[in-house]
Amino acid sequence: MILVGAAGRRRVVLAANAAALALRLQPGMPAAQARALRADALAEPADPAGDARALDQLALWALKRYAPVVAADPPDGLVLDVTGATHLWGGETALLQDIIDRLAAVGITARAAMTGSWGAAHALARWVARPMAIVPSDQSGRAIADLPVQALRLPKGMAAALGKVGIDHVGEIEAKPRARLALRFGPKLTRRLDQAYGRAAEPIQPIEAPELVQARRAFAEPIGAPETLARYTLKLVEVLCAQLEAKGLGARLLDLRFHRVDNRLETIRVGTARPVRDIKRLTRLLCDKLETVDPGFGVDTMVLVATLAEPLDWKLVATDLTTPAAPDIADLVDMLSNRLGPGRLYRLAPAQSDVPERSTRKIAATAPPTAQAWQAGWPRPARLLARPELIEAMALLPDQPPVSFTWRGVRRRVRRADGPERIFGEWWRRDGEIDAVRDYFQLEDEAGDRFWVFRRGDGELPWTGDLTWYLHGVFG
Amino acid sequence: MSSPRYVELQATSHFSFLRGASSCEELFAQAASHGVEAMAIVDRNSVAGIVRAHVAAKEAGVRLIVGCRLDLTDGTGLLVYPTDRPAYARLCRLLSLGKRRAGKAQCRIGWDDLPAYADGLIAILVPDQADEICVQRLRRTKATFTAGAYMALTLRRRPGDALRLHQLANLATQAGVLPVVTNDVLFHEPGRRLLQDVVTCVRHRCTIDELGFRRERHADRHLKPAAEMHRLFSKYPEALTRTLEIADRCRFSLEELAYQYPDEVSEPGMTPQQTLEALTWEGAARRYPEGVPDKVTAILRHELGLIERLGYAPYFLTVNSIVRFARSQDILCQGRGSAANSAVCYVLGVTSIDPERNDLLFERFVSEERREPPDIDVDFEHERREIVLQWVFDTYGRDRAALCSTVIRYRARGAIRDVGKALGLPEDMTKALSSQVWSWSEGGVEARHAEELNFDLRDRRLRLALDLARQLQGAPRHLSQHPGGFVLTHDRLDELVPIEPAAMKDRQVIEWDKDDIDALKFMKVDCLALGMMSCMKRGLDLLREHKGMDLDLATIPAEDPRTYAMIRRADTLGVFQIESRAQMAMLPRIKPRTFYDLVIEVAIVRPGPIQGDMVHPYLRRREGKEPIVFPKPELEKVLGKTLGVPLFQEQAMRVAIECAGFTPSEADQLRRAMATFKFTGGVSHFKDKLVGGMVERGYDLEFAERTFSQLEGFGSYGFPESHAASFALIAYASSWLKCHHPDVFCAALLNAQPMGFYAPAQIVRDAREHGVEVRPACVNRSRWDCTLELTANPSRFAIRLGLRMVRGLANIDAAALVAARQDRPFASVDELWRRAGVPAASLVRLAEADAFQPDLRLARREALWAIKALRDEPLPLFAAASAREQQLIPEIDEPVVQLKPMTAGREVVEDYGHVGLTLRQHPLAFLREALSTETYQTCRTATDARDGRFLKAAGLVLIRQMPASAKGVMFITIEDETGIANLVIWPTLYEKQRRTILGAAMLGVDGRIQREGEVVHLIAYKVFDLTPQLSSLGQRDTPFPLPHGRGDEGARGSPPDPRTRPPLKARDLYSPDLHIDTLKQTSRNFR
Repeated sequence: MILVGAAGRRRVVLAANAAALALRLQPGMPAAQARALRADALAEPADPAGDARALDQLALWALKRYAPVVAADPPDGLVLDVTGATHLWGGETALLQDIIDRLAAVGITARAAMTGSWGAAHALARWVARPMAIVPSDQSGRAIADLPVQALRLPKGMAAALGKVGIDHVGEIEAKPRARLALRFGPKLTRRLDQAYGRAAEPIQPIEAPELVQARRAFAEPIGAPETLARYTLKLVEVLCAQLEAKGLGARLLDLRFHRVDNRLETIRVGTARPVRDIKRLTRLLCDKLETVDPGFGVDTMVLVATLAEPLDWKLVATDLTTPAAPDIADLVDMLSNRLGPGRLYRLAPAQSDVPERSTRKIAATAPPTAQAWQAGWPRPARLLARPELIEAMALLPDQPPVSFTWRGVRRRVRRADGPERIFGEWWRRDGEIDAVRDYFQLEDEAGDRFWVFRRGDGELPWTGDLTWYLHGVFG
Repeated sequence: MSSPRYVELQATSHFSFLRGASSCEELFAQAASHGVEAMAIVDRNSVAGIVRAHVAAKEAGVRLIVGCRLDLTDGTGLLVYPTDRPAYARLCRLLSLGKRRAGKAQCRIGWDDLPAYADGLIAILVPDQADEICVQRLRRTKATFTAGAYMALTLRRRPGDALRLHQLANLATQAGVLPVVTNDVLFHEPGRRLLQDVVTCVRHRCTIDELGFRRERHADRHLKPAAEMHRLFSKYPEALTRTLEIADRCRFSLEELAYQYPDEVSEPGMTPQQTLEALTWEGAARRYPEGVPDKVTAILRHELGLIERLGYAPYFLTVNSIVRFARSQDILCQGRGSAANSAVCYVLGVTSIDPERNDLLFERFVSEERREPPDIDVDFEHERREIVLQWVFDTYGRDRAALCSTVIRYRARGAIRDVGKALGLPEDMTKALSSQVWSWSEGGVEARHAEELNFDLRDRRLRLALDLARQLQGAPRHLSQHPGGFVLTHDRLDELVPIEPAAMKDRQVIEWDKDDIDALKFMKVDCLALGMMSCMKRGLDLLREHKGMDLDLATIPAEDPRTYAMIRRADTLGVFQIESRAQMAMLPRIKPRTFYDLVIEVAIVRPGPIQGDMVHPYLRRREGKEPIVFPKPELEKVLGKTLGVPLFQEQAMRVAIECAGFTPSEADQLRRAMATFKFTGGVSHFKDKLVGGMVERGYDLEFAERTFSQLEGFGSYGFPESHAASFALIAYASSWLKCHHPDVFCAALLNAQPMGFYAPAQIVRDAREHGVEVRPACVNRSRWDCTLELTANPSRFAIRLGLRMVRGLANIDAAALVAARQDRPFASVDELWRRAGVPAASLVRLAEADAFQPDLRLARREALWAIKALRDEPLPLFAAASAREQQLIPEIDEPVVQLKPMTAGREVVEDYGHVGLTLRQHPLAFLREALSTETYQTCRTATDARDGRFLKAAGLVLIRQMPASAKGVMFITIEDETGIANLVIWPTLYEKQRRTILGAAMLGVDGRIQREGEVVHLIAYKVFDLTPQLSSLGQRDTPFPLPHGRGDEGARGSPPDPRTRPPLKARDLYSPDLHIDTLKQTSRNFR
């Protein structure tokens, strides 16, 4: 398997697993070349942000389990300060073994090294540990001397620059006069060197476990009446909003969990279009859904969690008294969309397509206005049928409008007509659309009703359509 | 009732770049079949396609109306048609004005500009909606174009169309402007709609999914039959008949463009002919100080007479004055082309081929019957040609002289790249696809190429892309400038054709390319750049400077036996033209002993003769293995010189004339047809005529058929004798230099790089094999150019590599260094930096190239270590101290730091990486041990092996070539420390191991030796990619920096050397614009 990502404007292999490496698919190789070499290689798009998130997750796990000071050492490592924590695991070896085993259990091949400095441990873990290396602090210098200079976490390009003057190993840097080195390669090199040799302190900035904002309420007596549930919902929302306000956050997604006495769980989830910490609004959103909760024999605990929270700061209200403030319909939108279900509430925006079915697209109800205007010059019916309905029509080929047509059993004589408007299929989407043509006509019948009908085919070339007629819309 | 009549007044060809989707040929062919009796081509602010349209119209029997669509700055579209010649001149000047204002490939014209040029132009306003703006524009059109103002009625197939047309017609009538029907054609048949969308994407640089409403949204833009137009516009019969009226008034035809050659500045009171004659006799006296031989006098008389009858004297005078100017600037030049090998040109000094020694018949090149413009190309040193160009501009005036343009057309690679991008294929995918085709191939990217790359052909976007790319091939993309074809006129040039500024400063080009110029019989002088001319110039200068020999191309000792002996050994690396593998392979067989043998050598290794299977008969006859027979005496007259085998282009034409009764102009048509319709079978009726004609005249059928197939190759790939002679002269001159002065030759060649087939590594290696000492680049001794240094042997100089060899070093920095050095060498890196004041980055380049080693004894790493310590600016205090003491005060006095020395292998890798060659051991020497254990032989052993032996060899890949003539056979040259070996890769192997063959820097080959006389080839059965071994040499995971010569077609995107390209006709050899004009694509039907 290989991971493919962008390096500049090229798409290259960013990572390859052992099997891929064995097939000579190497990181840095253009993606197309890799594909040409092995068609069966599984290529997945690389996701550096996802990797970073996963690494943070792993760091959290290590934080909970092994040591109080843990940080991610991107792109591929964790650094743990296990000072004073090893005895809990029965020694250093046992600790490392435990980490390696547990990671192996979830499919992560890990190598671990333990020594006196972050820099040295970083180097040893990557270049020495097979899968484990424990080096006493006083010997770490010797242990890393033979490693290539890349082991030192050098800035990009510096390893190559060192290589040019013939310095390939860490020990060779150490052996050179420091002032000369610093003059030529800058202070970063000597700092990294000192960090690796434990001469310079390098504090680990530990990650912190992010906390979910939540409110919880346990009841001595199980509750079950809808009014009671609603009352406590309000109380929980109040607590939660206070917490949110303290953190300058607003809720985007709320989960209200009801722990029932029979040990079952009922959940309400509501979402909001924008971050909200208005008690009334949140309560109403939650209470709207209370009816879906079956309390059973009673609920003994209620937990309200702001699963998704985003920063929300106070905003100045317009001070201009002369113009009425635009009504905020976010509340209404939230209510409606929570009632109707996700995705049911939307606005239509114009899309740049001549095919009527594709000339609109759905956008979020609260989305900002799109820059695109509706096309004024080319009228479209007020109501477009979801699918065109087959009609019978009498028309002269190749491009005359129908004289009469029958729709839903009613025969209508055409008094006025305009057309054809010739619309070609969007050939780049489907093979069937390469040749497809529709000729649209606006028709007005004797009653003054106006219709939008089309004929498949341009009336001349047989492959453009089978000349059947459809009604696609009704003008208002 | 007679059939309905209609004239299409608004057709856009693909010369409205990335807008029109059909060629003029397609449009006119379609118009003819649709009963459209005349058609106007209206390209956007351009008449670039009008000559093609003119030719296509004549062929299709549909009249062309010359026109142009002006897109004004306020968005108005106006179609204008000149009614007569003066109106056309005004249109051209208007376009020139707009183009000059807006810069390359753009045009800015406003309403205000129109009145001055509107006289005699009929205009049709292209309206949008029937609104106020339209009324305004109608008024302006009416007021501006007194000759005739109309408004276009065009069906759009959009809502309210009928109403819109009605309102527009009313508005027009009210404004006193008459409506006329047009169809706004963008392509000739409905199926081109897809391609049109794609080119729109290319124009907007977006994918088809993002294109949205930028698509052409008005439907039905194909050419429609006259009857259909009448049906559609049955409500506007007058508007339909008006098309005929307009067509009737616009009678201007390109044939009226009477071309007049500029009056050459001649002596007062003398006609150009008299001036030319005076100059000729003057020149003759100079050329033959001992008296002009009678033979030459006779030839001169004869030629002057012919020139007088044809009125070409001014043309010869122009060429003469250009050449004289070049001489005055000491720029080396040499003429060639059909008229160049005349005795007149020789005595004028345009060429150096002594007519006494050669009998090239002038009539062969300037034919009286054909009345073709004479053709002289002049090759200049490529580095100093610009001086000549600017002189021509200045002397003849910028409104009377301009370069031809070159239509850049889509080829297989570009087409798939742009179409792929438009369809949203990932870039690496299109790149991989385009790399699958040999760049100049006409075939295009095919499904099998995609399969080869393991692309899924079920992906419909990919299939569409392959399909559309094939349709796009051959479509013009933009105009570029011709490398040197000047059009000079007596009257204003911008009244003949619009002139636009070129991308390069101070140059201007016309909208037509050289084929258009040919079609209109304009005269043009080609001032071309030739790398070898620069090389020869440098070589001759070095000779003068160091060896005290003052020579030029004409005075280089002729017919020198030693030189021919060297050529016969195929020891011709680096010399002009006969250095390619194919040429080298032929040399031992042709065994040149005289100049004419060289002429044949140059001409015979061409796709034409090879495809026509003329090489082997010629060789057999030459070696006496086959009798030389002429079925008829007239054949002997034509082919006597070449042993009965046609080798030159004009011989092919003469055969058609003499043996099949073609008229000269028919023979010329045949030549053009073969060039143009090679892929469409348009030559078949010529075949019938030729074979029929020959049989009629008593040749047997088989002979006639063979003759035709021989001629077939010539259409595009033959060499006229005069070209071959000019090239042979340069080839001889460079060979002479190489033979007698290899040191001078090598230095000159290195200084003229990049040129030729070979990389500096091979040039230097060759020189060293010839006993020339080559010394490394050095900060204290090298100059920018490679120089000659004295050695113990006074007749031989050593070459000091110049700083130009140092990769990435700017000329200006090197010059600063040399200027600061003067005669006081630098003692340390620090001092060099301080005195020369060049940036540290340039010092790094020098250090990486090991230029501190020879004199300062600083190895690469030590030099880099020292440079690393330098800051951006010297410390002011130290600088002041240094200035006061008049010597360098080092800022730091630091102890020597011991650095690990590089391994020998690494040094070699670095040499290749930063100088492009090594003076140390060959890289393969380091790998020899490992290679021997794998039973790889050295190249020397391989080439010495007996015929038919199977063996393995390995080497660096120097050159990969796939001559168009060789039917897919690829030639690869590999090199190891002992020499080179020539591989032959058969197509089957190529297909099987394409990736290795194209990708490897070092190849191992399993193959069989094939000896043909002195030519040894290793026929490959299997190849191995040894690149990893080569990379291991540097002990780093970096690829080996193998430089490729310009001859290597594999490493470079396209064949860089024009010699390897299949030109349309031989005289195009040095223009990069070679293309197949009419790549007809079969239209596809979608289901």
